[in-house]
Amino acid sequence: MHETGVVLTDIRKSFGSLEVIHGIDLRIAEGSFVVFVGPSGCGKSTLLRMIAGLEEVTDGEIEIKGRNVTDLDPSDRGIAMVFQSYALYPHMSVRENLAFGLKMARTETAEIEARVKAASAILKIDHLLDRRPGQLSGGQRQRVAIGRAIVRKPDVFLFDEPLSNLDAELRVSMRIEIARLHRELGNTMIYVTHDQTEAMTLADKIVVLRDGRIEQAGTPREVYENPANIFVAGFIGSPRMNLLDAVWLGNGRVRVAGSEMSVPVTGEGLQIGEKVSFGARPEHLFVTDGGAGCIPAKVDFAEYLGGTQYLYCQLADGQPLIAEYRSGPEINAGSTIALSVNDNQRRLFGADGRRLT
Amino acid sequence: MTLSKMNRSNMSLSSRRRARKAFRAESTYHATGVAIALFFLAPFAITLLASFRHGTEARLPPLPPWPANGISLDSYRSLDTFGAGVWQHTFNSLLVSLATVALTVAVSVLAGYGFSRYRFPLKNVLFVLIIATLMIPFQSILTPLFIILARLGLNNSLFGLTLVYVTLQLPFSVFMMRNAFDAVPKEIEEAARIDGARDLKLLFRVLMPLVLPGIATVAIFAFLNAWNEFLAALVLLSSNEKYTLPVLMMAVRAGRLGAVNWGAVQAGVAVMTLPCLVVFLLLQRYYMRGLMAGAVK
Ligand SMILES: Nc1ncnc2c1ncn2[C@@H]1O[C@H](COP(=O)(O)OP(=O)(O)OP(=O)(O)O)[C@@H](O)[C@H]1O
Ligand SMILES: [Mg+2]
Repeated sequence: MHETGVVLTDIRKSFGSLEVIHGIDLRIAEGSFVVFVGPSGCGKSTLLRMIAGLEEVTDGEIEIKGRNVTDLDPSDRGIAMVFQSYALYPHMSVRENLAFGLKMARTETAEIEARVKAASAILKIDHLLDRRPGQLSGGQRQRVAIGRAIVRKPDVFLFDEPLSNLDAELRVSMRIEIARLHRELGNTMIYVTHDQTEAMTLADKIVVLRDGRIEQAGTPREVYENPANIFVAGFIGSPRMNLLDAVWLGNGRVRVAGSEMSVPVTGEGLQIGEKVSFGARPEHLFVTDGGAGCIPAKVDFAEYLGGTQYLYCQLADGQPLIAEYRSGPEINAGSTIALSVNDNQRRLFGADGRRLT
Repeated sequence: MTLSKMNRSNMSLSSRRRARKAFRAESTYHATGVAIALFFLAPFAITLLASFRHGTEARLPPLPPWPANGISLDSYRSLDTFGAGVWQHTFNSLLVSLATVALTVAVSVLAGYGFSRYRFPLKNVLFVLIIATLMIPFQSILTPLFIILARLGLNNSLFGLTLVYVTLQLPFSVFMMRNAFDAVPKEIEEAARIDGARDLKLLFRVLMPLVLPGIATVAIFAFLNAWNEFLAALVLLSSNEKYTLPVLMMAVRAGRLGAVNWGAVQAGVAVMTLPCLVVFLLLQRYYMRGLMAGAVK
């Protein structure tokens, strides 16, 4: 058994003279579920397609299960891919769609039949086997696309935003289905998504990308609770973390919007008076009746969502801030409140964006 | 009880009225369709019927156009006395047209695929250049073509004529096939590559069925153009037994000793029309889709 399912070593990719992936190193444990997230155009798809072999790497090496596959054909890498657009063969029945890859590999007919049967049973598409893709709903098509991946018995499953063409309800149920599939099959899975919830719920490891570089790789809890930098802090979590201009006062204290408060930071190398950013997630802010270390804020606008309420506030120095408010006396727009956040949920970032500890 | 009965009768009344309305709309629709179809079919029918008139009848004014004194094959028999016989010329035409179709489809599928999917230097310049040749009237290059074929030893050969037809047909066909391949989502091809389909297998097993409408369109155009082409055939072919049907028809239409055998002309037109109809009816379903695909992309 190999410890590592997929190893990327200094992967680079250029389109013409434009480099879009700038040296990515990543080790993916066998059997783990890794999710690539990042803003549009950051290179998630490109990276996934390089692992699939659909895009040549400009530089670097890709290993799958201890085998260097950098120059191998997509079909020889032990991977299977599920596309956002399903990419089923429209002129073949579902059965032929599932069997096509095996036929190409000259698998025996009996074996093909057994695998198609097993895969369609797992995905509950047995009754659709004789239909054409055009006669299926979006959700059914995506199941077939996943089935086509399963029958190949790949070492690694690759998903490129597989659920983004589905409506919200179906997306939730397919998400749960994919999680179940991962539990049952135990293969390595690499998954690209825009959806925070998909990333947080599915991943063993989240890889946050920006402009062709890894900003942070870690468990969902790590990237949420201990973001390595301002970018990750702002990207993970919804609504995004409040990042407020602050001034370092030394001795573990900062001034934010005119109020002083302590932060769990040693402040090594920081000059007194240096500008920093103070981070606090909306869901960690709470309303107090004043006291030390709280920030006064004027509520501009309150968004009522039933279970919770988002308060869009303005601080004394004009900076905007969002706070989540779960229960208590009603707060209306125009009122002034005092907000605070627990000591261990206060984050501080240096001027270069790095998290300070 | 009475209420529900009344309701039911009411409903049946209104539904009957609706049915009658739908029937009237439908019959208008079909009547119009039939009228249009008759309008377009009439010339074909008149020619076909007239070609079965007796030899003596054939020289009379074509009214009524159908055989009045029973059906006869006189016209076809006299058509057969022209040139090297109508079978020979039909065979020539079929050979040239089918070979043109086969070569055009083969080349344009590969070229269209290449232009659609591969990146290579000067790709767009090359493509525009190919399309630009559509603007050259082919009569103007007939002389150079003749000289080239003569140098190649291909003058007065059906193969040489086929090559000329393929050349003339290619710009449009390559354009058509590139559009057809462009309309195939890239992901389908990538999925097939992951599934292990490479090169020709990929082309034949996965992509060809998806561009079939484009292929049908290209095939129909190639067939019809090669089948009906006259000028190049007249210029490039010099011996009697090599002539294609349009050249034969010219001879028939010119008549002998000043007398035109109209019966033979009608028979010739019938012979020339039939394969076009067959090809079109066979491929029309794909052809329509092919034009659509080209239109939206
Ligand atoms: N074939 C190509 N030619 C040139 N540039 C490309 C090509 N494919 C991708 N790029 C560029 O590479 C960068 C990364 O693209 P990629 O598709 O990987 O982004 P992404 O993270 O998947 O974005 P999205 O979330 O919108 O899908 C983009 O700047 C894009 O413009
Ligand atoms: Mg993408």
